Order: sequence, then C-alpha cells, then structure tokens
Amino acid sequence: MKMHRIAVALCGLACLLAPCANGVGNDEITVWSWFISSTMDKASKAFEEKNPGLKVKYTYYNYSPEYLTALKAAAASNSLPDIIGLQPGSLTQQYREQLVALNAYAAKEWGDDWTAQMFPVALKQLTMGNPPNDPNYYLLPQECQVLAIWYNKDIFQKLGLTVPQTYQELVNAAKSLSDHGYIPLYQGAADGWQNENVFLMIANQLAPGLVEQAQAGKAPWASPALIAAMEAWGKLFKDRVFQEGALGARAYPTGAQLFAQGRIGMMALGSWWMQESKFPPPLSRFIQNMSGFDFFYFPALTPGGKPSPPVGGIDIGYGLTKNGAKNPQAWKFLAALVKGVALQQALNDLNDLPAFAGFEPQGDITPNVKQLYDRFIDDLPHAENQRFAHPEVADALDNALAGVASGKVSPEDALKRVQEVTDKTLK
Amino acid sequence: MSRIITEVAPGTARAAKRRARWLPFPYLYVVPAVAMFVLFVAYPILWVIGKSLHGSGSSRPNAFVGLNHYWQLFQDPVFWRVLLNMFLWGLITIPVQMVIGGTIAYLIETYTTRSKTFFRVMFFLPVITSVSVVAIVWSQMYAPYYGIIQQYAKLVGIPLTNSPLGDPNLAIYALIVVNVWQWTGFSMIMYVAGLTNIPSELWDAAKIDGARGWQLATRVIVPLLSPVTRSLLLLGVIGTLQTFPIVHLMTEGGPDHASEIFGTYIFKQGFVIGDIGYASALSTLTLIIALALSVIQIVFFGARLSPNRKGFV
Repeated sequence: MKMHRIAVALCGLACLLAPCANGVGNDEITVWSWFISSTMDKASKAFEEKNPGLKVKYTYYNYSPEYLTALKAAAASNSLPDIIGLQPGSLTQQYREQLVALNAYAAKEWGDDWTAQMFPVALKQLTMGNPPNDPNYYLLPQECQVLAIWYNKDIFQKLGLTVPQTYQELVNAAKSLSDHGYIPLYQGAADGWQNENVFLMIANQLAPGLVEQAQAGKAPWASPALIAAMEAWGKLFKDRVFQEGALGARAYPTGAQLFAQGRIGMMALGSWWMQESKFPPPLSRFIQNMSGFDFFYFPALTPGGKPSPPVGGIDIGYGLTKNGAKNPQAWKFLAALVKGVALQQALNDLNDLPAFAGFEPQGDITPNVKQLYDRFIDDLPHAENQRFAHPEVADALDNALAGVASGKVSPEDALKRVQEVTDKTLK
Repeated sequence: MSRIITEVAPGTARAAKRRARWLPFPYLYVVPAVAMFVLFVAYPILWVIGKSLHGSGSSRPNAFVGLNHYWQLFQDPVFWRVLLNMFLWGLITIPVQMVIGGTIAYLIETYTTRSKTFFRVMFFLPVITSVSVVAIVWSQMYAPYYGIIQQYAKLVGIPLTNSPLGDPNLAIYALIVVNVWQWTGFSMIMYVAGLTNIPSELWDAAKIDGARGWQLATRVIVPLLSPVTRSLLLLGVIGTLQTFPIVHLMTEGGPDHASEIFGTYIFKQGFVIGDIGYASALSTLTLIIALALSVIQIVFFGARLSPNRKGFV
C-alpha cells in the first residue's frame, strides 16, 4: 500500500515536471537568449496582450559563458526551450541538428515573397555555414546592425576637430585628443569581436567582400589587400590612434562607461549604441537624446581612397527548436519577434535596426535620434557582411589580430595561420 | 548483523563465516555511494573519454577517429603553451600562497590576541568573494589611464600606460598575482588550523630548549605543519588544473593564447568552436595529468594529510 502511494506520488510529480522539461505547455512559450531582459519583457507583454491566454517564459543569460554552456547542456539532454536566441553562422550551425527549418513557417505566415523586404546582408547571412545544397533557414533575424566609429561631438567641437577624412587626419585627431587628456579611439582589444569589427571595416574598404571570400576558401587570406588591411590594423596601435594599453581593455563595460561619461573621443561600436539613450536615468548629458554623439565610417586609408563601406548584418535572430516545433504557439511568438508586436517593442527601445524594411521606432524618439536611425537604415541595404560561418576561422582571426596588435606576429604570418585554420575547417 | 548471522548459519563457525561473507547487506549499504559515484563521476569520465575518440561538428559527426584528437593535441602549439602556462601557474602560485599564507597565520597566531578573529576573517575574505567581483576589481586596478596601480606607479615616476593583461609577456603573471591574492587566505586558514593543533607542550618544550624565531620556525613549526603543507600541495595542484573563471573573465586566455590554460582552452574548443571531440581529448589529458600528479605526490610524500589521524591512508 505504501509503495503504491509512493508510485502514485512519483507519477504525479513526473506529470507536473514533464511540461517544464520541454516547455511544451499549450499556453506557455519558453525562450532563452542574451537579449536585454527589460526589452524582452515589453515584447512579451505586448505579445501576451495580443494573444490572451498565452504566456512567454523568458530566461536571460549572459552570452558567455552562461548562454553558451546552457545551450550545450540543454542540447545534450534534449531539453532546449521552444525558442533560442541565435547569431548567424557558427552559433546557428552548432545547433542546426536541434533546430527546424523555418522557410515553410515563414512562407505560410507572410507569403512566398516574405524575404523581399529583408535587408540583403541579413538574407545572405541566414544560410552561412549551411552544408552545400541546404537552403534552409534555421534562424530568422530580428534585428540588424551597422558598424561605425562613434565620436563625441562636444569634445570634437571643443578641440576644433572635424570628422577625419583621411588616415592622417584620424592620427592627428587622436593625437589632439590624447594631448588634451582624452582617450583617442578606444579599442577594447581584449574582446575579439571588437577587433574583428574594426578589421572588417578596414578590409572592406580596401577590398569589399574579400574577407567573406577568404573565409569561404574562395580567396587566399594572404591576398595583398588583406595583408594591407592587417598592416593598417597594426598601425592603429603603433600610431597611437587606439589608446595605449588597448590590448588589455574591454569594450563593455569599461569602454562604454567611459564613452558615455565623455572621457573618450571615439569608439568603434555600431547602431546599437543608440539604445543607451533609452536606458533608465541618470544618463550623462552626452547620452540624453544621443545629443553628444554622432558617427562616421573609417576614413580612407590611402590618398584618394574612399571611406569604409557600411559593414554589418544580423545582430540577433531566433530559432525554433525541435521541442518548440511541438508547441503550436511557439512559432506565433517567433513571428512576433521577427515581424510583429514584439519586434516593435525592441525598436521602440532603440535596441537596434529591424531586419526587414518598413519598420520604425515609435513613441518618444527625438529628431536627433531619428536622423541617426535614418542614416543607419539608409546604409543597411549596402552593408558588407560582418559574420563568420565557422567559429574556428573567427577564433583564428581574433588571435591573428591580437598577435599583430602586440607586435609579436607579422601580418603575413598572422594571415598564414588564419589560412591554415580555414583550410583545415573547410576540408 | 551478528543476530542475522546466527539465525541463518547455525552450522560450524567456518561455514557461518563463509556464508556471512556473502550476505548482501554489507554491500547494500555501499550501493548508494557507489551509485552516486558511477552516476556523477565514473559515467561522465567514461562519456568524455568516449567523446574524445569520436569526431564532432557538422563535417564529421560522431565518426570514430581513434586517437586522432590526441595526436592533433601534441601537434597543436597552443596545447604546449597551455602546458607551459599551467606549469608556471602551479610553480608560482602554490609555494607563494603557502609561504605568504603560512607567514600570515604565524603572525596572527603569535602576535594577536583579541583581534585574532578579525585578521583571520579579513585575510580569508578574498577566498569567499565572487570570482566575478575579483575579476572586475583587478581589471580596473590594472587598467591604463585610471587604474589604481597605474596611479600609484605614476606617483613614483613610473608611467604605466599598458595593462599587463594586454601584454602577451605579462598576461599570465598578472593573472597569477590575482590568483595568489585570492587564495592566500585559504592557505592561511589551513595553517591557522595546523598551528592551533600543535600541542602547547611542544611549544613550551621548544622554548625551554631555547628555540626562538627562525630556529623555532624551521625546526619545530614547519615540520609539525608538514601534513598541512602536503594537503595544500595536493589541493594546489588540483586547483591549478581546475582554474577557469578568473582567466576566462579577465583575458579569455588571450591575447593570442598568451594566458591560455586548460579550462579556457577546453571551453573555447567545446562551447565556442563546438569541437566536443577535441575538447574531450583535452579534458581526458587534464584528468590523466591530475591523476598522475596526485599519485606521484602520494608515493613520494605519503598520504597522511592530517596531523590528527595517524595512519590514515
């Protein structure tokens, strides 16, 4: 009798826990991501108001190591939530086996020509790293970004500086900033992603699209243009355009805080910097309405050359897991995140740019912020790809950039190492 | 137990003894512990070893690759860098922590009375401080332009414009300093426990015999604290091989792998790059090294790790 009771109790417990394990409750949608919680809460609320009875259960993780380890453990134990936050390329490819193809879902929701309004760079990134002949989309983009050099307008005005048009003007501006006690161009070079971003700005100025070809094995990493880009990268350290000690510095939180406080002249960030103006007060006077900031693209490195083109792509996207495919409500929320009420909340918080044309932030958006936003949106259709299909290649490039920055490795040797890793990865 | 044996084995004493040996109850008592060990220790280890023999990633999923990953490891320059860093880490942190921790413990136990607890807590505080907090505080201290270390250096006329964390030649040492700062308190508390366990008669006898200062320390205290030292050595080696969060948070093993250690390299390979096979091979090798070092220590230094449990093996 006693055993019978224990068995009944265990069955009851199992029934209670079962929906939690896979998140397959009919009215609950489970989502994991590194996306800012306060904005996701607004997005969830807007979705729940539009879909009474449905409930979004969002779990926020720091990207590394928490999110990466949580995903890996959940994938191994088949307990992934319904929807997971993704970046195109390597992160998506690691979980491709656990994700469902979204092409048919999207076509059914938005019609066969649903990709027509998607920005080209985002569309291109959707299949990055897919096996040959696999045209499926395993993530859908929510937001895009454009990389840029932001600068503090007030400091520039005070020192009589203008937006640099040539590399020499950039060096001069950096010197002037340093001489007056400001940090010139802050580089959080301890963060691989920031180094990649600056390198991509430089490389795409010298040879648009060449990095993309090199990572796909269609062009050598030791191409003259990429060697020149690597040399230019190293010069930014030698010429003190970046602050001294950049290799030990981090973009977040240190750099961002100093930039917001007006101690930095320039910083390589992206369109997401606008969201700072929507953070809870107190905000510095520079951050309020973004009135202290403006942006430019990397100036021409060679006499008569052109500045860097916009570089960017998907900031964040979402994938539907195989567990999520069993929950009919999960797709509804994913669709809302990509092209619905949930996206609108993210845009209203100026989190970043939409992945589809035709969306705009609403609510309390000042004219200054609006003009910044519009300039980014105008540039996004022409953006070069900033993402890598294979994490091994991105990691090798990160190490190559650090090696060159430290002066320990020559540009040629650094790119040779990247080539070796690329060859091994693509083999 | 004896009652049961009497009931079930009424024959000769030898037969009873033989039958008692096969009774299941003694084994059943250890089943929970064995089950936990198998589930949470043995199975994961075997799983990792199995994974290290298989491919991973989209190009070669789950294919048996034999010892390929191990062969690749020995050809990987980063692996040798990791080994060097781990060697430096252990070589510097373990003795330095012991010496500083032991000295602090001796000073606290010998020269303080009412403030003893206060000093013990203060020096132990870094051990219980979150690694994230330690990482942020030390990164800010090392930071160029506004870091406190740079400010003090400036006061004495030494301009430090670079963070040692960004210098490939200094990064590992900068991290070792942080680790020593954080874990010295642990050595201290172990030595405090060791010192308080030394019988007062021994102190008195040594003093009557004229032992003072350096002589007292080297001839009496250090030998009596050798079980603590052995424990710290064993824990230090294991701790060195388990190091991860402080390096991950402060340098992520960079720049250019300059401060790469087993933990960060395994994490990078397994979770960032997604090569679970290679990461498993690295993990297995780490386990083998840890086992080998532990066995060597036990063989050469003995396993008596507590002064109160003579004969404990």
